[in-house]
Amino acid sequence: MEVLTEKNTKQTPSKPPKSMSPWAIARRKFVRNKLAMVSSFFLLTVMIMSFLAPYITTIDITRVNIGQMSLPPSGEHWLGTDKSGRDVFVRLLYGGRVSLTVGIAATALIVVFGTVIGSIAGYFGGVVDSVLMRFTDFILNFPFLVFVIVLNAILFGKLSGVWVLIVVISVLGWGGVARLVRSKILSEKENEYILAAISIGCKPSKVIIKHLLPNVLSTIIVQATILFATMIVAESGLSYLGFGVPTEVPSWGNMLSTSRDPDVMQNMPWTWIPPAVVLTLTILSINFIGEGIKDALNPKSYR
Amino acid sequence: MKNKKSLYWLLAMLLGLSLVVAACGGDEASDTDETDNTTDNTEQNDSTDTNDTSNDSDENQSDSNEPKKGGTMVFGVDSEPEGLFNWAFYGIVTDADIISLFDEGLIEYDENLKPQPNLATWETEDNKTFTFKFKEGVKWHNGDELTVHDWVFALETIAHPDYDGPRYANVQTIEGAEAYRNGEADSISGVEVIDDYTIKITFDKARVNNLTNLWTYPMNRTAFEGIPVAEMSGSDPVRRNPVGLGPYKVENIIPGESVELVPFEDYWNGEPKLDKIIVKVVDRSSVLGALENGEIDFITVHPSMGPQVEKMNNADLVTYPGLAYYYVGFKLGKFDNESLEIVEKYDKYANKNLRKAMYYAIDRETWIDAFFSGYGKPVNRPVPSAHWIAADDSELNTYPYDPEKAKQLLDEAGYVDVNGDGWREDPNGDEFVVKFSHYDVGDPQYEARAKALTQYWNDIGLKTELDMVEVNLYYEMIEKDNPEIEVFYGGWGTGADPDPSALWKSDALWNYTRYDNPESDQLLDDALDIDIVGTSDEKRKDLYVEWQKIVNEDLPMLYITELEETVAVSKRMGGMEFAVSGWNNPVEWYIAE
Amino acid sequence: MLKYTLRRILGMIPMLFLISVVVFTLALAMPGDPFSGEIDPNNTDPEYIEEMREKLGLNDPIHVQYGRWITNFVQGDFGKSTRYKMPVSDLIAERMPNTIFLGVTSLAITYILAFAMGMYAGRRPYTPGDHFIGGFNYFGLAIPSYIAGVFAIYLFSFQLGWIPFQGSVDITLEKGTLDYWISKIHHVITPAIVLGLLSTASYTQFLRNDIIENSRKDFVRTARAKGTPERKIYNVHILRNSVIPLITFLGFDIVTLVNGAIITEAIFTYPGIGQLFLSSVTNQDYPVLMTLTMMFSFLVLLGNLIADILYGVVDPRIRLD
Repeated sequence: MEVLTEKNTKQTPSKPPKSMSPWAIARRKFVRNKLAMVSSFFLLTVMIMSFLAPYITTIDITRVNIGQMSLPPSGEHWLGTDKSGRDVFVRLLYGGRVSLTVGIAATALIVVFGTVIGSIAGYFGGVVDSVLMRFTDFILNFPFLVFVIVLNAILFGKLSGVWVLIVVISVLGWGGVARLVRSKILSEKENEYILAAISIGCKPSKVIIKHLLPNVLSTIIVQATILFATMIVAESGLSYLGFGVPTEVPSWGNMLSTSRDPDVMQNMPWTWIPPAVVLTLTILSINFIGEGIKDALNPKSYR
Repeated sequence: MKNKKSLYWLLAMLLGLSLVVAACGGDEASDTDETDNTTDNTEQNDSTDTNDTSNDSDENQSDSNEPKKGGTMVFGVDSEPEGLFNWAFYGIVTDADIISLFDEGLIEYDENLKPQPNLATWETEDNKTFTFKFKEGVKWHNGDELTVHDWVFALETIAHPDYDGPRYANVQTIEGAEAYRNGEADSISGVEVIDDYTIKITFDKARVNNLTNLWTYPMNRTAFEGIPVAEMSGSDPVRRNPVGLGPYKVENIIPGESVELVPFEDYWNGEPKLDKIIVKVVDRSSVLGALENGEIDFITVHPSMGPQVEKMNNADLVTYPGLAYYYVGFKLGKFDNESLEIVEKYDKYANKNLRKAMYYAIDRETWIDAFFSGYGKPVNRPVPSAHWIAADDSELNTYPYDPEKAKQLLDEAGYVDVNGDGWREDPNGDEFVVKFSHYDVGDPQYEARAKALTQYWNDIGLKTELDMVEVNLYYEMIEKDNPEIEVFYGGWGTGADPDPSALWKSDALWNYTRYDNPESDQLLDDALDIDIVGTSDEKRKDLYVEWQKIVNEDLPMLYITELEETVAVSKRMGGMEFAVSGWNNPVEWYIAE
Repeated sequence: MLKYTLRRILGMIPMLFLISVVVFTLALAMPGDPFSGEIDPNNTDPEYIEEMREKLGLNDPIHVQYGRWITNFVQGDFGKSTRYKMPVSDLIAERMPNTIFLGVTSLAITYILAFAMGMYAGRRPYTPGDHFIGGFNYFGLAIPSYIAGVFAIYLFSFQLGWIPFQGSVDITLEKGTLDYWISKIHHVITPAIVLGLLSTASYTQFLRNDIIENSRKDFVRTARAKGTPERKIYNVHILRNSVIPLITFLGFDIVTLVNGAIITEAIFTYPGIGQLFLSSVTNQDYPVLMTLTMMFSFLVLLGNLIADILYGVVDPRIRLD
């Protein structure tokens, strides 16, 4: 640590101190973080391949190929085929699409909802704050998994496929973000510049959006990366248990759940090891990226 | 599940296919529950009459080794028992399997599903009054001697207004059962004790199937002494210390996990050879591993695991005929639950040639090979081949895979592609989409096999959409004729009594297709009419064959397959035999090695 | 402190009440009921099912059903499982010891591993050993527990045959004997490790960082200057300071265990509360489902309360009132 600090002080004089915005500094720090960069590269590759899957392959992924069931990996099927004769590699790509969509969509919903509730509660305080926070506590005190399972069982068939899950985990997941944003806003709004903004008659919405949120943005971003990973795990875990996305939709969790069949588990590891590995690596890289962003946005850290 | 023994019509839809449930955390296959309604007179069959219907691979194992004494057998079950270890109260097949190791009934069924005496013999002149004679000297596990009073006790328990199990249907045909249940009588008038070993049962009227429908499991009176009927299902004699009549008795129960059984020295019908039977719950994901490691000696397996078991060095796969059939049904109408009649007819699938074309389009052989590892065969009638009323295929249309013929039938029926989009339109030129539904229990294979069926129809130009519906919702929708359900997959299990009325008569709630044909109704009625068939099984069978010809031609449903029961038996086991009625008396089982 | 605790406990009541209303409504909104699918044409008839529905009050309006349920619930009568036909309290009492055993073992393993690894890594930062532990931690944080569970079964049960793959104990053993307990531990060890994986990784990480931070503090320098042996500095002075914040995690552990038990028990077919819960959902066994949900909610509330109280105990600067 000390050594690094020294190196850094040496560099500081050489760089033009005023020309860089905090975001630029963060970006530079992030780019220098090898682990984070490798992870970003990996995650991007997975994302691009998953989302472009329909354009890369022309195979009808839902088609059941009776003649080609349970084939081990070969030149024709890179990762073999599963018990329905569907190509594992292609399903892995499509599965990534679903898993990542759930992750991204749920994270986005949670962040938006949590931020709105959290900032309103934090900014207005008083009755608004206590009502909203009681509600947040209420949501937070649901045992997450328990409620997702029950809710999903109820909504099954009422909404189409993947969106049930996204809605359900979002509805139950925003509490943490709301709390975090609220506490950040609470401390931030005591600053003079906010008092100044309010005193010159800025509307609350403007104060929140223009002045407060940018200052808590870094916290939100870091939180979002953690959430992203959590949501992907949640999707796959629930699908594994059979309470996630419908079985006919390929997702990493659904692919993994085939390993509950002992035959598949023991004799067809090519169907469940790839999603397990890709899923773990994806979570790992998201975690590394999260750490990288945290470091990069932390003015006290030197990298 | 799947095995056995369920000699009754049982909802087999999920039955058999126990792959089930990734959903439910392992055991508890949702399957189990839904289906298993089943059984009841699941009976014990004695080895003596259930020989070798099993086409198993390992006949020799029993021949080459003399039955030996000693050893512990581990009996695997693939879903968690509910712990209701009494014939009168159990709900699922797993529990019934376990009960059958330590208890047995008055009669049993042979390989033709005909009743045979076990603990009692019977006589009847008119199929209305039956006189049962009990064997003397048969002992309960607690030392009591079995008498007719134990049976009376069982009948009165089931007919009691507080009874919360599902078996009343097996008692209600006895004269006076209704009055007893309504509290109008202190005893069931149709039950007349003559002495400790003789009893006369009078039914409310003569029927050909009175005996097969009757409840024939006694309950030990001392064990249940002082326990009100309302509390019986949760009481110790049901859950913790069951008292039976079988060759083994319960020593210890770890709820939801395992049951330990030890030999019962005073068993009336031979000497148990094993030192111990341990019933162990094995998650289906662990079944193959456990078999391979020799940790279990017996378990029922899903057909898809069959090939793996066949490859094993220390276990054999044994198959025997099953009693369930699987079908694709068409909703042909709407049923009114109040008036018990079909009140509306739907047109969409009313064209018989359309249904026939959809039948010819399916390559059933390939489909069964692919999804059931070949442990099944196409069936052309709603009766499993093993049943004595089954019509021979030579008397029926067999609908072999013939896509050309299917297309031709569609052309003739007017289902042609008029707008050139590659899909056929209906005879009016409107878009035609087959809506196919299948239940979902979280198992990916269910989706695959349903999808494969839709592909067959797509291939003949019928646009088909697949809808996977959560299993609880699925049956509710089917039963209530929800318009979302048009073409649906299902299965029925059949029992000892061949009467299909509850599933086929136009006034039956479970006639899911709402098939309405007076001719069919008449035949089904005639086959039960004692004035027409008397006591002749031949006459009865002829009527059922006539009926099968009609439904084979009308096709309110496409009969897809009947599956074989598949069980894995460790090579060290000897004396185990299987037949359509289940496994033989455990008293015969031994460890050969 | 006492006042605060009491107030918090009282505050839990309306929360639990609200949760019960929500859950009850949700549960009844689930398609079907315990009898859907229970069809056995020869033995049961539609009338029997209708009669049972009537008997169990499933045909009553929801608020009536709720009223009946909550009245009994408050009086300690949790109802009778529709599937197992026995009182829910007995059913839970039957399974509870297994889950508690799993949870306690998991906690013990978590703490032992986390302490061992965290102290090692904290004492020798930036050595290969530390990097190895760091790598393990990242992995532990990233790998979802069910994947770890599946791999563990595949490897240790099927390929190596080291551990049993299901159940909680070997039934042949006499209850209470040494072998019996060894068998219990043998069955619980892998699920417990898998269940504790995430906490182990985060505690190790936390402990390591805290030890490194503390080792630069003045009191450590003083101790060094006084000539206190290095071993004593780490094991007594630093550890004492680093352990304190860790204690506050105990409350959250309860929450983690509740959620984790459901998945872990499902994978290892371990007959505990989590498995009972999953089966009650699939079988629509409302009495069990409701009681367990209430129990889980209560545990979560309790966990949060314990966490808050421990904060106050450990760090007197935090005022609770």
